[in-house]
Amino acid sequence: MTPRTVPAPAEATRRRTPPVAAGAVRRAVPVAAAVVLLVCVPLGRYAAPHPPERTVAAPWAPPGGEHLLGTDALGRDVLSRVLAGGTHLLTVSLLTAAAAVVCGTALGLTAGWTGGRTAHAVRALCDLLLAVPALVLALVLAVALPGTTAVVVAAVLSGAPLTARIVTAQCAHLRDSGHVLAAVERGERTSAVLVHEVMPALRRLVAADAGLRLVTALQIAAALAVLGLGPQPPTPDWALMLSENLPGAALNPMALLAPAIPLAGCAWMIAAAARAAARTPGETG
Amino acid sequence: MILRLVVRTAALAVAATAVVFAATELLPGDAGQLRTPGRASAQDIARERERLGLDRPAAVRYLDWLYGVVRGDLGRSLSGGRPVAALFAERLPATAVLAAAALAVTALLTAAALGVTYLRGGRGGSAATGLAAVPQPVHAAVLGVVFAGLLGWLPAVSLLPPGASPLTEPEVLVLPALTLALPSAAFATALLRGALGDALRRPHVTDARLRGLPAPLVLRRHVLPFLYVPALQVTALLAGGLVAGTALVETVFGYPGTGQLLVSAVAVRDVPVVQAAALLPAVVLLLGMLTADLAAHRAASAPRVTKGAVTAVPRNVGGGL
Repeated sequence: MTPRTVPAPAEATRRRTPPVAAGAVRRAVPVAAAVVLLVCVPLGRYAAPHPPERTVAAPWAPPGGEHLLGTDALGRDVLSRVLAGGTHLLTVSLLTAAAAVVCGTALGLTAGWTGGRTAHAVRALCDLLLAVPALVLALVLAVALPGTTAVVVAAVLSGAPLTARIVTAQCAHLRDSGHVLAAVERGERTSAVLVHEVMPALRRLVAADAGLRLVTALQIAAALAVLGLGPQPPTPDWALMLSENLPGAALNPMALLAPAIPLAGCAWMIAAAARAAARTPGETG
Repeated sequence: MILRLVVRTAALAVAATAVVFAATELLPGDAGQLRTPGRASAQDIARERERLGLDRPAAVRYLDWLYGVVRGDLGRSLSGGRPVAALFAERLPATAVLAAAALAVTALLTAAALGVTYLRGGRGGSAATGLAAVPQPVHAAVLGVVFAGLLGWLPAVSLLPPGASPLTEPEVLVLPALTLALPSAAFATALLRGALGDALRRPHVTDARLRGLPAPLVLRRHVLPFLYVPALQVTALLAGGLVAGTALVETVFGYPGTGQLLVSAVAVRDVPVVQAAALLPAVVLLLGMLTADLAAHRAASAPRVTKGAVTAVPRNVGGGL
């Protein structure tokens, strides 16, 4: 469609709106795919044809024959290592994202509901934590903490403020909406109002945000693993495999591509699920 | 208002130094313990700590360090004992060239992607958000396989001979700069696409079209002014992220810059170097933010542009470390 023929906004919205059921299915697909993936990755270890940490053939054997994806620098089976290598990354990322979302939502609800000085304090805290890029914070923390702990702490410290910001804005907005005011006038306790009136309205926003926090956590965890601050060799790990196998890019490219594809696929699917969750029903965007 | 923005940035810069200092303070066995051999007596450790000034309270050491940073004295490296400032001066040009190259490539790719979005009437697919979500090591690996492995065009390792500059050996820049630029461009596209869509849907744009103005004129006069401030904000975010990302990219490709310095200092727990190397991306990020805020302020006070042009860009895209 060329820009010159863009229809008026109202008409455009009406024409692009699919039937509700189709929209719901469309939104459910990426979310379901992401969930299936998160369940399957930990089970991969049991499907590995060879022990992932043992040398089983010559180094840098090309794909084919007994070793479907070839072998790496130490002659370990690439397929087995890929099947076994996603659990640590995904577990760390999931835990981190959950912690960041819980902390951020709690902060955001407090600030958005109370307003005034509390909101100012929370905003200042968020600005402070966001002044240092997440990857750098993780590296600085890795001086003192074990790599995995550094990833978790850094991703929570730099993820929670982003969640808190959007929840604060939305919560402050909701505080003046009819159903919340009605609940307050009925004399319900603040906690009850927050849980039963405010939280359900924030559900979609927080779900989409959780996906983004998950993506960021995955990126930081992968980066630190590549820098040698995550799982230590010979543990099979997708990100670690990327740095281990870079010297063999010309000898067995599959040793690099095989872990890159599931890692990229996970990130891509989580991002797609977050986008789908953010979409309001009926909108295709 | 301008003064307030500057003061706020200065306060955040001080806050960033506090965050960095506090993070390295977590070190359970401090440097005194680490710098002495495993079987050193308690006395030796105490003497080493005294020599390094670690026996003073944390607050005093922080203020002392901060005073040094302000004067440009970043302390001495624990391994080798060279002044940290000198270590930086050696490596900063290489990182500056890499970051500038990456930013330029990012700008080109983003402009191209936004052009496609514009031709599609302001709607975008999922490629940008997906690509921005993919971890940077994956970009590095795939680019390495394609350009160094399969095609054999570029060196997989970007080592620079001593004394050489990346400007005289531009081929070492390609893989690191592309690795930094690909996710950044995707991130920028995903953030700016919304602003572009909003601008295209504004009534005055429809009106301009219906008046029969040629499309390039509508674009230049009625759409692009709305993208100016968001683009600056995204650039600020990206600049900080790019400098942070050099830590990964320089280490993976063996490019001798400050990012590599940070990672190697983390590995040997060289605290003064880590502190200085961590401040660099934070300062770049804050200065970029200040520039963007000042531009937004100017745009808001200019009579010609309506208030809607100065909406903040939401950071609702995964990525952009």
